[in-house]
Parts: sequence; C-alpha cells; structure tokens
Amino acid sequence: MATTTRREFFGLLSGWIAAAIGAMVAVPAVGYLIGPALRRTLPTQAGAGTIADLPLNQPVQREVVIETRDGWLKGGSTKGVWVVKLSTGEIRVYNPHCTHLGCAFAWNRDQERFLCPCHGGVYDLDGRVLAGPPPRPLDTMEHTIDGDRLIVTYVDFKSGASKKIPI
Amino acid sequence: MMGSFMRALTAWLDSRLHLKRLRHALLDQPIPGGSSWIYVFGGVTLFFFVLLLITGIFLTIYYVPSPDHAYESVQLIDTAVPLGWLLRSLHHWGASAIIVAIGLHMLQVFLYGAYKPPRELLWMVGVSLFIVVLMFAFTGYLLPWDQKAYWATRVGTGKLATVPLIGEPLLLLARGGEEMGAPTLSRFFSMHALIFPWLIVCLIGLHLFILKELGPAGPWDRVKAQRVSEPFYPRQVIKDGTAIAISLLIVAGLAVWLPYPLADEANPASTDFEPVPEWYFLFYYQLLKYMRGPILEPVGTMLVPALLYALLLTLPFIDRRKERRPSARPLVLAMGGGFLVVVFVLLGISLKQTWAVPTTDPSVASGKKVFAKYACASCHRIRGEGGEFCPDLSYVGTRHDRDWLVRHFNNPRAVVPDSPMPAFPFTKQELDNVTNYMLSLK
Amino acid sequence: MLKRLAAWIDGRLKLGSISHLLLDEPIPGGASWVYVFGSITLFLFVLQLGTGILLTVYYAPTPDHAYDSIQFIEREVTFGWLIRGLHHWGASAMVVAIGLHMLQTYLYGAYKPPRELMWIAGVALFILVLMFAFTGYLLPWDQKAYWATQVGTSMLGTVPWIGNLLVRAARGGTDLGALTLSRFFSMHALIFPWLTVGLIGLHLFILRRVGPAGPWDDARAKAVSEPFYPRQVFIDAVAILIVFLIVVGMAVWLPFPLADKADPSSSDFVPVPEWYFLFYYELLKYFKGPIWEPVGTMLLPALFYALLFALPFIDRRKERRPARRPVALAAGAGFLLVVFLLLGVSLKQVWSVPTTNPGVVEGRKLYAKLQCSACHRIHGEGGSFGPDLSFVGAQRDRDWLIRHFKNPQAVVPGSTMPPFDLDQPSLDALTDYLLSLK
Repeated sequence: MATTTRREFFGLLSGWIAAAIGAMVAVPAVGYLIGPALRRTLPTQAGAGTIADLPLNQPVQREVVIETRDGWLKGGSTKGVWVVKLSTGEIRVYNPHCTHLGCAFAWNRDQERFLCPCHGGVYDLDGRVLAGPPPRPLDTMEHTIDGDRLIVTYVDFKSGASKKIPI
Repeated sequence: MMGSFMRALTAWLDSRLHLKRLRHALLDQPIPGGSSWIYVFGGVTLFFFVLLLITGIFLTIYYVPSPDHAYESVQLIDTAVPLGWLLRSLHHWGASAIIVAIGLHMLQVFLYGAYKPPRELLWMVGVSLFIVVLMFAFTGYLLPWDQKAYWATRVGTGKLATVPLIGEPLLLLARGGEEMGAPTLSRFFSMHALIFPWLIVCLIGLHLFILKELGPAGPWDRVKAQRVSEPFYPRQVIKDGTAIAISLLIVAGLAVWLPYPLADEANPASTDFEPVPEWYFLFYYQLLKYMRGPILEPVGTMLVPALLYALLLTLPFIDRRKERRPSARPLVLAMGGGFLVVVFVLLGISLKQTWAVPTTDPSVASGKKVFAKYACASCHRIRGEGGEFCPDLSYVGTRHDRDWLVRHFNNPRAVVPDSPMPAFPFTKQELDNVTNYMLSLK
Repeated sequence: MLKRLAAWIDGRLKLGSISHLLLDEPIPGGASWVYVFGSITLFLFVLQLGTGILLTVYYAPTPDHAYDSIQFIEREVTFGWLIRGLHHWGASAMVVAIGLHMLQTYLYGAYKPPRELMWIAGVALFILVLMFAFTGYLLPWDQKAYWATQVGTSMLGTVPWIGNLLVRAARGGTDLGALTLSRFFSMHALIFPWLTVGLIGLHLFILRRVGPAGPWDDARAKAVSEPFYPRQVFIDAVAILIVFLIVVGMAVWLPFPLADKADPSSSDFVPVPEWYFLFYYELLKYFKGPIWEPVGTMLLPALFYALLFALPFIDRRKERRPARRPVALAAGAGFLLVVFLLLGVSLKQVWSVPTTNPGVVEGRKLYAKLQCSACHRIHGEGGSFGPDLSFVGAQRDRDWLIRHFKNPQAVVPGSTMPPFDLDQPSLDALTDYLLSLK
C-alpha cells in the first residue's frame, strides 16, 4: 500500500465508486427478478351464504367467488362448492371436482348419492367412494362460521392421486 | 457540381474525423492466405442478427406480451398489418437461418483448428454467442402464445425441475411463478426483446474486437498462410456480400412461400397436445425420449447439455497442440464427426416420427372444401375460426362417430330435435368427404 | 493468479494499447469539475437502460393491463417501487444533466469548428431524450399519462395539410388505444434505445477524433495538458456517485405515485405534463386561435431545433471567450430567462389549484383510523370485500351517506357493513372525504 502511486490511488478509488454503484443497483435487481417468483399463491377465503337455511342431510350447491391471480392478471372465478349439514350438526364443504379426473359431480336426490357423469364415480353423503374409479374420498375444504355466514377457504386438489395434495 | 460538393463534404468530414484511418482499420485487415468462400459464415451470421433485430423491433410495434392478447396481436400482425405476415415470416425463417449460419461458422472454425492459441478467447466468446442464440430461439418460441408455444415451453421449463436440489427454485425463476402465465410471458418477452439483444451486442463487439486484435486464422497449412496475405477489402468483402445476398434470397423465398402458421391459441386446459420443438431442438427432444426414469432423466435434461457446453467452452484448453492440419488431428475430428453423426441420426429419427403422424387423408382435404362450399363456418367454429351460433366443431371427431354424423347430415332434426341446422343437399361423395373431415377434428 | 490471467489476456489482446487509447486522451487545460456533465448523462442513460429493462420484466403494454402491471410492480414485486422510482427520477435527472452539458458546451463555445458534428450529434441526442420522456410518460396508462398524451399527439394535428396523417401515425389510429400504447412502448423500449446507443457511439467517436475542447482561453489550454486518467476519471466518478445518491434518495423518499387508471370518458381531468415540458405547456396557453396555435405547436419548436442544429454554422467565428461573444451569450441567457419565467408562472398556477377542504383531510384520517380500507378499496388501495369507493362522491349525496353511516342496513338491506358510532363532526368529516372521491 505504501508504494501506491497517486495514479493508482485515483484509479482504485474510481473503481470502488463504480463497484458501489453497481452493487446498489444489482442487489435490488436480483430481488426484483426473483421476488414474485418465489411467492406462493395463497388460498382465498370466500363467503358461501348463510348456514341457517341449510337442509339436513341434503347437500346444496353454493356459489363462491374466488379471486384468481396470475401476476398482474386478476380475475374472479365462480366455483360451485357442495355444502351439506350432517345429522350430527357438522357442516361439510366439498370441493366440486371429482377426485378421479376433476369432472364436476352432482347430488342425485333420488339415489341420495353424489354421481360423477364422466366415468361413473359414486360417493355417499360423507364423501366415501361407493363405486367407480375415484382414488380417494371427496375433498373437504376448511371453513369457518362467522355469525350466520359460512366462509370457505377454497383450495383445489390434485386429481387422480390417492392422497389430498393441494395445488 | 454534385460530385464536387460530395468531394468537399468528404474533405470537410475527413479533416475532422480522420475517416481514412478508420477505413484503414476496418477494411485493410490482412487475411493470411488470401480471401476465401469458407470464411463467409461469420459475416452471414452477423447479417442475420441485424435482420432479426430490425424485424423484431418492427414486430414489437404491434405485439403485446400478455396471455390474453399475445395470440390476437400476432394474428393482427399476420392478417391486418400491411406486410405484417412477411415481417413475421422473415423473423421466423431468419431465426432458423442464424442457427444454420452459426453452426456452419463453428464447424469451419473447428475444422480449421482456428480455436487454438492465441484465439482461445475468440472461441469462448463465440460459444457464448451460440448459447445466447439458442436462448433467443427458446424464449422467442413462446411469444405467439399458441398451443405449440405454450406446451413446448411448459415442457422445456418443466425440465428445469429435474435438476437436483435447486430444480424447484430454477423452475419458479424461469416461469416467474409455479404455473405458466402472465409473468412467464412477460419475462420471456423481456429476455427475448431486451436482455438478450443488449447482451449479444456486447458479446459481438467483444468477438469482433478480439478478431481485430488477433487477426483471422487463415488456412491450416502454415506455408500457405505465410505465402500470401490479402486485405479484407475488396475480395473478401465481395465474397461475404455475395454469400449474404444468397442467404437473404433463400430466407426471403422461404418467408414468402412458406409463411409460418400459428397453431390454436394456447389452452392450458387441453391435455392432448403433443408439443414438438423447433427443428434445431428436435435431436435433443429425441434424445430425451431415451432418457427416462428418475436417474437417467436429469442426466439427459441437465448433465448432458452442461457437459456439452463445458466441453465446447474449454475445447481450446483441452486440445492445446499448435497443430491445425485436420489430417494431423484424427482424434478431435473423429469426436466432432461422431457428435454430428449422433445429432443427425437423432434428428432423422425424430423427423420420421413427427412427420409420420399427420398424414392427411385426401378425402379430409376434399371435405374441408365441402365445408367451405356450404359456408358451414358462418355458423360453426373450428379452432377459433367461424361463427359462434352453432356448436363448436373443433373436437367433434371425439364426440360423434361416422354413423351419427351421416344420419345427422341427412336429417339433422331426426337426430337433434329443434336443431336449426338445415339438411344440406350433399352428393354421396361430398357427404363422405365432409364426414371424414369432421372425424379428423380431434 | 489474477495477475497471471491479466498477463495472459494482455499477451493476446494487447490491452495496454486499448487502455492507452481509452484513458490517456489528453485534456487541454487539465481535468475540471466543469466537464463532468457528459459522463453523468452517459451514466444516467446506462441507469435508465438497466432499470428500464428490469421494468419490462413485469410490464404489459396493453390498455387493460398496463396500469395493473405497474401497480403489481409497485406493490408486490420485491424492490419494484425502487426500480420504478429510479427510472422516474433518473429521467428527470437525465434531462437536467443533458441540459447542463449543453449549457457548458454553449458557454465554452465548444460547438465551434472543428466540433460542429459533435454538437449536431449532441442536439440529436437531446431530442431523443425528450422523445424518450414523451413516450415513456404514456406507459403507466393512468389519467395523467392518457390525457397528456392525448393533448401531446393532438398538437401534431395542427401541422398544415399532413396534420391528420401525423396524428394517426403517432396513435396507430384515430384514437388513443391499444395500438398507441404498444407503439409508444416499442419506441420507448426498443427503437429509441438502439438509436441512442448508435448516436452516443458517434458522439464519442467524434470526441475521440477531435479531442475535448478545454478552456476557452487559448493560452491556458496550451499551457497544461493532462490525460483523462486518473484525475478526470476520478472527478467524473465522484460526480456520478453524487448524482446517483440524489436519484436514489428521491426514489426512496419521493416515490412517484400513479394517478387513477386512464378513463377515456372522463371530461374533467386537466392533464399536466412533466416539469421539463411545463414551460412549453405554459407558452402554448398564449398561442390561441387558428393562426397562432400552429405557430406555437409547430413553428416555434421547429425553428428552435433548426437553430440548435445550425448553431455552429451561424456562429462561425473561432473566438470562444464568453466576454467576446455578447450576442450569442445574450441570446442564450434570454432563452433561459423566458424558459424559467414560463416555468415559474406555470408552477404557480398548477400548484395553486388543488386546495383541499380541511374536512376532507380530517375525514381521510378517520377513514384510516376506522380501518375502512380493510373492506373498501379506493383507487386500488384496500380490500375488495365491500364496494369500491373510488368514485362514491359521484354516486351518492351527503344525505344518503349520513343515513347509511348511522344505520347501513336501513338503507341497504342485507349490507354487511357495521354501524359506526360517530359524533356529528366526525360524521361530517368522513362524509366530506367520501364526497371528495369523484
């Protein structure tokens, strides 16, 4: 260091200034590029009507509007979840997709079964598989009750898997 | 009058800018062994880069990098913008041409041993340029946001996830999220139209700067190289110019007679689309078919390309002998030849498989004409083209069989009560053809 | 190790001669703080290029998403607000830097022979910088952007004969819309950057050929000569660091807010251009009528640029000392005086308009205190559970609002809004605030 000439000293100092400016831009730039990529999508909560008017042991389809986000593309999409009040008083909320390949199933009043039209999956009121190819029972979703309002945490699950895997 | 004015202007400029010195530096670079047609590929590659830059900039005037508009905006360029189809087609075929040109350029350098000392850095910068060109191709493929683009990129980025340990973050970084979507398209556009162009211009500058400093390598025979030397201008310039003109004519011909069609708009929900990459990635795509399973797959997706690039980059340090004559370098040439054979065999297999699939039944083509003749598209839609009033026929071949279709054509209301479709007076031949066409829509 | 690598590279590329070429350019009269503006402008251009490229990673140039994508950058992207702030204030800094660079060149008479071409390339760069500013202003697609560009492009229509054609070419159609935005983006992010880099290359190439002008006093210029490196490099680096820190400070402490999303149907938005166009905006106010208007919108700028370009050929004497160039200096000073007067008048008028009712300020505080934004959204801020209040003042009157605050369900049956227990002044203030949202 003692032998540093004036010329080298100025050069070194200029180099440090350049490095400092570069770092001050580079650090935010890296965060900027990877930040949103590493953020997971959060499940959205949505109101699914009131609970007072739920018939006993009779599933009804309730519309929930969930916010979908794809970067700056925002959209709302309406999902029809199945809500059932069991005789025990427990309230179940089923994801509206068949666990086999994701078709929309429906409650058949006469047979008192959930029937999936695509490949003949049959579930009972508890969501158990009675017949057909579905690999697992119907997917229940978490919900909370706020006064009389039913709030559903909407999540989709991977179809075709034997376990519930959120996507 | 005009001549003397030009002379005065030149003299005025020259007195300030010393243009003679510049011209000397640019044009009088000596070429050992004299000019040759074998040296034209670098110039051709540079020319195609400029062509792609200009056509690319023009395309951005109308293109919109957003999933809900990208496809429409490319359609607008193809159909509504004057000469838009030509610009897009030039950009597309120019991209293929630059891959061919840079490949030939590298082959020539490899064959001539021009990567050997003192030109190691020139070669390494060149390999980086080659990688950037491939990245251009990969990112540009997504931009039209059609089925081909979407699924090829989905598969391509999905491969990143097979990298051990850091696969997941890499995938997130490439896609800008877990799934392909708006952030993916945005960042691919940003890379393709902004980041890579600036990067490649810097690298080209470096490549040419090193070339100016070291001079071209010339023929492999040292005696021949030392006997003659010729300046870059005029004969090499003329040869480069001729090669550029010929390749431009080829690309323009391809652009005019083989416009590059869009596939359907990307549909993330469709499950039956078999994505096929561009021809220059086909050999690799074919290779990956043989690399299945949890161990072999990452080898194919990551290890093989990484090794290949590492080998390319370090080639001048592996093969360090000064000897440049091909006959005295049997090992290196055998390796290069072997690599080319593997690539072309894989490409051949892949092309055979890919092209073997969609053989069009001649009656399907006739059926398409029947469909047009009776203006079926005024009511029905196929792959986004046509009216919305009647059922979409894009996948009608999966819903109905021949018998149903024939009965329905003969008397629609007998099959679908209240159908507004009239019974068309098809001939027997027309009926067969249009039914075949319907059945081909899957 | 590093030394050996450097030696290896040097052995091949003779970097010694390059560094000589780049760094040892002699500066007549020695290094000086007066010469820093060119380097600062170049640095700011590089900063704009870098931050601009980063912005395109998330930006979408289409009317239905541009605004959302900028909000996404501001709110959700890590450091997005900083990158956008740097780009915005960097643009202002660049206009200042290039202005000072031109003033220095003008004052020192450095545009005189043999440096005419360098001045001409410089003026072309200046025009490009202004075009960058004009096209970049539209990209966020907010009210300010939309209406300022509406007015800006309309000015082209005052050109005789080809006016309509020019407007259509600039907008990509008769109206401001998707095609306008995408071509402005293309110009701002692709065409102009490449042009600018080409012109900067030319400007620097000419500088290398003719050398820097040095001080106006010939005797002093010849007395000393100092290479560019190290002292001028160091002086430039320090100046650049200071400018960079100022820009960072402004980006951090003065983030640049978005206006509302562009609304082509709104009729009451008064567009105000960026500060560097304000003096001209003010000037145009004095040019009204079918004859005077085209004079202001077209003839004056055209004459001004023509004068700038032709300056080295109009003022051809070799004399560079300011004391000996009274006419040129008086003309320059007169121009600056007019610009700053107009700017002052304009700033006074612009800033005197939006006087806020104290009740509104009080109401805004209450709105925050009661956490209304947990459910309600105002201009993109807040939850989406309750109705959007961005324009509630246009939809409801005072009476309705007060009744609704006192008992929401009485006014809107089934409403989930709880009644808030507010005293009369608070109620009034909150209502004032909501009524101001239009």
